[in-house]
Amino acid sequence: MSVRRVAILLGKDFKYGSRGFVFIMAIVAPLLISLVLNLVFGTFFSQTAKLGINDQGDSRLVDLVSASDSVQTRTYASTDDLKRAVEAGAVDMGVALPENFDEDVLSGNSIVLPAYVWGESLAKNRGILLATVNSAVRQLAGQEVPVHIETTTLGDAQSVPWSDRLLPLVLLYAVTIGGIMVPASLMVDEKQKRTLAALAITPATLGDILAAKGLMGVIMALVMSIVIMLLNQAFGVQPGLLMIVLGLGAVLAALFGLVLGLLVKDINTLFATIKAVGLLLYAPVIVYMFPGIPQWIGKIFPTYYIVQPVVEISQQGGAWPEVIFEVSILAGLIVLMFVLVTMATRRLKQQ
Amino acid sequence: MSWQIVRALIAKDFKLYFRNRFIALITVLGLVAYIAIYFVMPQTVDETLELAVYAPVLPPILEQAGSQGLELVLMESEEQLKEAVVGGEYLAGVVVPPDFMDKLMSGEKGQLDVYFGADTPEELQDSITVLLEELAYLQTGQMLSVRVSPEVLGRDMVGIQIPMRDRLLPMLAVIILMMEMLGLASLISSEVVGRTVQALLITPMTIRGLFAAKLIMGVSLAFVQVMLFMAVTGGLSQQPLIIILALLLGAIMVTGIGFLVASGSKEMTTVIAWGMPAMIILSVPAFGVLAPGTVSDWVKAVPSYYLVDAVYQAANFNAGWSDIWDNLLILLGFDIFLVWLGITVLGRKFR
Repeated sequence: MSVRRVAILLGKDFKYGSRGFVFIMAIVAPLLISLVLNLVFGTFFSQTAKLGINDQGDSRLVDLVSASDSVQTRTYASTDDLKRAVEAGAVDMGVALPENFDEDVLSGNSIVLPAYVWGESLAKNRGILLATVNSAVRQLAGQEVPVHIETTTLGDAQSVPWSDRLLPLVLLYAVTIGGIMVPASLMVDEKQKRTLAALAITPATLGDILAAKGLMGVIMALVMSIVIMLLNQAFGVQPGLLMIVLGLGAVLAALFGLVLGLLVKDINTLFATIKAVGLLLYAPVIVYMFPGIPQWIGKIFPTYYIVQPVVEISQQGGAWPEVIFEVSILAGLIVLMFVLVTMATRRLKQQ
Repeated sequence: MSWQIVRALIAKDFKLYFRNRFIALITVLGLVAYIAIYFVMPQTVDETLELAVYAPVLPPILEQAGSQGLELVLMESEEQLKEAVVGGEYLAGVVVPPDFMDKLMSGEKGQLDVYFGADTPEELQDSITVLLEELAYLQTGQMLSVRVSPEVLGRDMVGIQIPMRDRLLPMLAVIILMMEMLGLASLISSEVVGRTVQALLITPMTIRGLFAAKLIMGVSLAFVQVMLFMAVTGGLSQQPLIIILALLLGAIMVTGIGFLVASGSKEMTTVIAWGMPAMIILSVPAFGVLAPGTVSDWVKAVPSYYLVDAVYQAANFNAGWSDIWDNLLILLGFDIFLVWLGITVLGRKFR
């Protein structure tokens, strides 16, 4: 294998391959998905009760409720807007505060506060919202809390917010598209356009070609996964270790991409293959997103050994001792995939 | 237009589609995967906050906790309570000291010890604290001059909430339909590129017959799969006729979009490049069902809104013809427009 030839082939792939749809998708799609997931899904499955307020005066109640962590508060300009939001389910409950509400509360006047409740709102959310509004009114009225609540947290596990749960999904997507699809599509393209056969009559060996495509996949997967980690501010306190894990993940993905590229005949079959194995690739991420699913299921799938060390390092402050087992298996998978690449290469040479 | 020729062309298209055993296999696997996703999702809705309580003397107000969205389970000892919380059986455990009621009655501040599981989200910890404070206020007889008067907007779903997997049903149905749109677009574009379409048009096959065959083929592929999915997941248990009609109209809609995508595509990659934005746009209304209130009224401009809404309303709320005839009519209008547009644009490419 010649390093110079590999570099020339890699340069050619960057120059011409970067105009391709898969290459563009490998860059744009993870960025877009990261953005959309953070914007939409970050609060998508939030269980926090939502309260809408239409304040017709200038009540302090709005500030008191907004300061509470137990509810999310949104304000509306009119009662009609508030009712529409409740009907659409944008908030679980909406209250319309009349003019001079604070003065009436302080003077002890009897007030009936209209509240609109979304029909699909959960019973617990209704209870929480009612208690939160009452609590704020009591604060406004100057009532003293008759109880002191001493809270203690038991156990070691920490709750994982949705924004964190979704990070592995975006990361794996970046690795999959960049690491698997780019080298695989480049190989398939060479086969379909018969440029692979043309290259065979030059001094470049099949090893050189595979090394160039594989490197391309590693670079794409590594760069995009680093960008995703930076965008999500998830580099953690062990950036060096994280880079090693991301690098190994990129190598595994690129080797798998080469296996696909060597075995698959055309681009349609390649996409169909990715569609078929997609569930296997993303299964550990789905398991991670839903803690209710037994977590051991994720360990069955190879990509678990990319995702888990990254999560451990970036979200749980893990260091080398905590990830050595998973990283060792990842290294083993790389060796196994390398053997598969060698076998697939022999098969292609025989053809 | 000869129906005999149309029938022959449909048979040929189906043969071509399923001759590739791999494509046939992944079509089945894809369907199985969507069904699996449905069954993995939670089938119940956790409507209440389950708390463990250890109270040698039970304050009377705790018997009314159910009205606040709390479900209290009495423990025999503080140790049992802590074990249950650490084991994740309850979000929190409340220890009520024996002298709690005496203190409240004598005007002193009572104390409650609340134990949270480490994975109990912070907002829920705050919510539980607020609820317990409110119960303490009520226990001491501190009433409010403000009475919140709730009015439920829409159907009151307390106790009959829709599980996440049933909310997901219309979205999965749309995805299945859209995937077949990609398959149809890919098939047509490969025929255009391979010039088999032009070859067909110099036979007795008319362009009208050609489109009739493609339309029937596309609708059948999408409709049969989505019907299978709905049947297996129990999505046809309520208002089956309405759902079947809505899905048929949905299949026609995606076939029309498939024609449009095929008209702008040369091979699989461009089919995906055009198809993905279409898929994303058509999926937006389904996100609105998953997370109510996240999409605004402009979503009604997306044709799939009327499919998603019809299926969601019929499958989950037993909505009848009088409730959703307008959805079906608008969907039919979109179908006619999209199929006409698809045939017009693609027809130009054939000529």
